[in-house]
Amino acid sequence: MNSVIAIALNTFRETVRDRVLYAFLIFAVILTFAGIVLGTLSVGQSVRVLEDIGLFTISTIGGVIAIFVGTNLVFKELDKRTIYLIFTKPIRRWQFILGKFLGLSLCILIITALMGGFLMVLTLANGAPASSMSNLLAAVGSVYLELLLVIALATFFSTFATPLMSVIFTIGLWICGHLGQSLMSLGSMSESGAVKVLFAVIYYALPDLGKLTELRFELITPPAAGAWSPGAVVGHFGVETLLLLTTYVLGYVVLLLSLGTLIIERREFN
Amino acid sequence: MTDQVIVTENLVKIHYSHFLRRPSRALQGVSFSIARGEAFGLLGPNGAGKTTTQKLLLGLLKPTEGTVCVLGHPAGDPRALDKVGFLPENPYFYSYLTAHEFLDFFGRLFNLSAAQRKERANELLKMVSLSDAGSKPIRKFSKGMLQRLGIAQALMNDPDVLFLDEPNTGLDPIGRRDIRNIIKGLKQQGKTIFLNSHLLPDVNELCDRIMILHRGRCAAEARVQDIATSGNYRDLEEYFMDAVARAEQEYNEQQATAAAATPAKV
Repeated sequence: MNSVIAIALNTFRETVRDRVLYAFLIFAVILTFAGIVLGTLSVGQSVRVLEDIGLFTISTIGGVIAIFVGTNLVFKELDKRTIYLIFTKPIRRWQFILGKFLGLSLCILIITALMGGFLMVLTLANGAPASSMSNLLAAVGSVYLELLLVIALATFFSTFATPLMSVIFTIGLWICGHLGQSLMSLGSMSESGAVKVLFAVIYYALPDLGKLTELRFELITPPAAGAWSPGAVVGHFGVETLLLLTTYVLGYVVLLLSLGTLIIERREFN
Repeated sequence: MTDQVIVTENLVKIHYSHFLRRPSRALQGVSFSIARGEAFGLLGPNGAGKTTTQKLLLGLLKPTEGTVCVLGHPAGDPRALDKVGFLPENPYFYSYLTAHEFLDFFGRLFNLSAAQRKERANELLKMVSLSDAGSKPIRKFSKGMLQRLGIAQALMNDPDVLFLDEPNTGLDPIGRRDIRNIIKGLKQQGKTIFLNSHLLPDVNELCDRIMILHRGRCAAEARVQDIATSGNYRDLEEYFMDAVARAEQEYNEQQATAAAATPAKV
């Protein structure tokens, strides 16, 4: 485990020293500006719009960092040949992949926490009830869960593809993950059995990220009058569903990291 | 009884091109062994297979045929790597780290405790004359400093076997002398040294035994002392030139025989 921690800390250091945390400042500027403008434009809905924009921006900024740093994680070590120094030490290749993933995940966690905290302060300042903060926190958590999957995708592709190709593959799958339900509906509309099967295979092979978006929507939608229960998860999402979604995403993460390990195990370093 | 720490038998490595999978033989049946405490020099012209051999010994490449054993374990086995130090050619280090952080990172990979890592890093930085640069970012290091830091990282685990790939490349005469003295000191400590180098005077001074590779085959193997005392050669350079020329002539003759045996296309 010491080796995993060493690789993770080194990756974290590298990312932080690349000034990635400055992305928080971009977020703060966008959100503060949006808060001022929306406060004057939207009547009675400014908090909801602020939350929507805030969560979208956290997801986008976090995703951009996860993709552009993640796709370079292993490639850079190969390109600069620092991998020679790592793999001539008593370390297993799965420890290297896991360490890389955890290092970037820690960095993204800090950025997400900073952005999420700022969003909460801003929504409170705009009149949101303090009791709704637990739901907003859960919504930010679901964004982080999605970002973990993006990091795992980027890490996986970086074990065999160039950064440019990895970026294309990762963004492609990330978008497809959000369109899973639409693909399924599209397939069901077709009269061809083969097309139906094809779309079903694609749907089941890809992570269904639409569920996380749906969860976030439910979490920040104010409940109907009289139905408010502070701290409770609103809508049809219960704790069990949350756990199921978390396990579902983490399952994909484990699968992608295992595949990345298999590739790097078989790889030779010329 | 001599304790063999590195043993290779009939080592063959075939590389395949990316798209057409065209084979190219990098090594063709190389066998050798290195005893504990011995300094072994691997020589050869560019493309002879020196770096391939070293990567096979470290587990960075897998042999197509043959076996590689390091410290009684298959090459690349973590049990062997635990006792191995490696300095690659033209090493690139993590430029965002300081020298102390860099050594601490490798200390962690060897499961050293925080106190051990600190003590060892200080000791090694002193040994390679980098004590004053411990807190300096690596990106500000000169080529000579990088090479010395590379040696320090290779020694973090106090290894039994050291693999040094062109440790003196690109260094000025003072830098070369410093590195040579460090390697001499390690040899005196009884460490087994595998030196891959083009610089024959350094090999002559540091190694007990050499092997010359030519087109992936062993062209010659000798004890350095025997070359000097045999009276047939002025120095290692003359021995090297002669061995390579003979190997090249042999290769050309083989090619000519093979071409003659192949029926001409009409």
